[in-house]
Amino acid sequence: MNWLGVALIGGLVGLDSTSFPQVMISRPLVAGCLTGIVFGRPIEGTMVGAILEMFALVIQPLGAARYPEAGTGAVAASAAYLSVSADGISPGILLLAVVFGLAWEWVGSISVIALRRINELLVADAMMFANMNPGVLQRRHLAAMSLDFVRGVIVCTTGWVGGWALLKTLTPYWSMGPGPALGVLGIAGAAATAALLPLFGGWNQQKLAFTLGVICGSLLLLFR
Amino acid sequence: MRVAASAIPLSVRDHVVPRHTLAAVFVRAFAIQGSWNYKTLIGSGFAFSMLPALRAIHRGDDAALNAALERHAQLFNSHPYLAPMALGAVIRLEEDRENPAVIERFKAAVRGSLGTMGDRLVWAGLRPACLLAALVLLFIGTPWWISVAAFFVTYNVAHFALRAWSFRLGLREGMGVGEQLRKHPIGNAQRFLSAAGAFMAGAALPLISAGGVVAAGLPIWWLVFGGAAAIVGARFGPRIRTPLVILLAAFYAVGLFLKIAQ
Repeated sequence: MNWLGVALIGGLVGLDSTSFPQVMISRPLVAGCLTGIVFGRPIEGTMVGAILEMFALVIQPLGAARYPEAGTGAVAASAAYLSVSADGISPGILLLAVVFGLAWEWVGSISVIALRRINELLVADAMMFANMNPGVLQRRHLAAMSLDFVRGVIVCTTGWVGGWALLKTLTPYWSMGPGPALGVLGIAGAAATAALLPLFGGWNQQKLAFTLGVICGSLLLLFR
Repeated sequence: MRVAASAIPLSVRDHVVPRHTLAAVFVRAFAIQGSWNYKTLIGSGFAFSMLPALRAIHRGDDAALNAALERHAQLFNSHPYLAPMALGAVIRLEEDRENPAVIERFKAAVRGSLGTMGDRLVWAGLRPACLLAALVLLFIGTPWWISVAAFFVTYNVAHFALRAWSFRLGLREGMGVGEQLRKHPIGNAQRFLSAAGAFMAGAALPLISAGGVVAAGLPIWWLVFGGAAAIVGARFGPRIRTPLVILLAAFYAVGLFLKIAQ
């Protein structure tokens, strides 16, 4: 029944990212966690989601900008990782799942653009304005939302299958030990997280808060 | 007469739109972006959200209702969490039978500021700060469900409160929302959230660099690499994201190549 769960989460994540209700189940952290729950391995699902979240934090969905759709990418990557790996952490598979998830986010983005073009035909054409009444408006608006749900289902399930095939094929050829894979993920994650600083006002404006944070984080690291 | 009606406080005004209808508009506002498109942006979602109120205002006059829907389905944009402010204000203007051209000018005037304000307050403030706090919790070993639930609950308490506040402000102030927004300490909230976000980003960095994300416990000298990467990240900002993805893919390709070359 995993496929049903992934499809349902995919639809909800696709819907939540723009259409309804934007309560952030579409964040990679939450989407990965939910996918992990479907597979009975929430810790690993949350782990994949947390890694993808570090790369998603810098994405700003401003206006009509085109940006990677992190939520559906996280569902596809988490599902693919959980389908291929055994219990616990498999660093080589994890690294490939993350790379796949980051790439699949752009497939989600392309599907969002296509849906927005379809929505133009649904709710912004001259015919609708000429025959405007409450029934027409509601039907077309709800149809657009239903299409978004279906889009999420398709992007996540195809991503899951594609990711599973990719991970299954390439995993036997991975040669490095766990250290380099986890290390490179940590380094890339640190760069992606620090890239948020300009968003918060930059070093000049936030040097005190940022430095205090680094000190606190270092203390937590020492005493955890 | 119109000006006099607008000047009466909400609590004592004789409302055309009943409370349960206002509640329906508030709930529909969660789907305001449901038919987002490149021509009218959230215009049709705005009309969809307004529909219960417009039905109450134009009861028994289908032609007026359809004309109002057509007007409100035109181009509009806003941050979704602050869109209820525009909805509330426009409901009040429609109740007062304000001139449609004036309502259109009002919508055109607020759409830019509601978008920019929401982007700064929520997308660049509240959301990354809450997510970074959840990641820090996760990286220090807090159980997964506590970290995720802490983010989900904290963020959405603020999210729902912001929507409710903005709807009430719009309903209360009508065309005067712009002036009221200038009086509210939104700038202070933005500054606080930015500082909180910067603090959380700083706190997350050592934990991420040391492999906290997978509880890997990498050697402490990995922190040097993490620190260097953080400096590069802070220097280039969001532009670094794509090169990082390419580097990760290239690193994986090297791992494959080494195996094949053996």
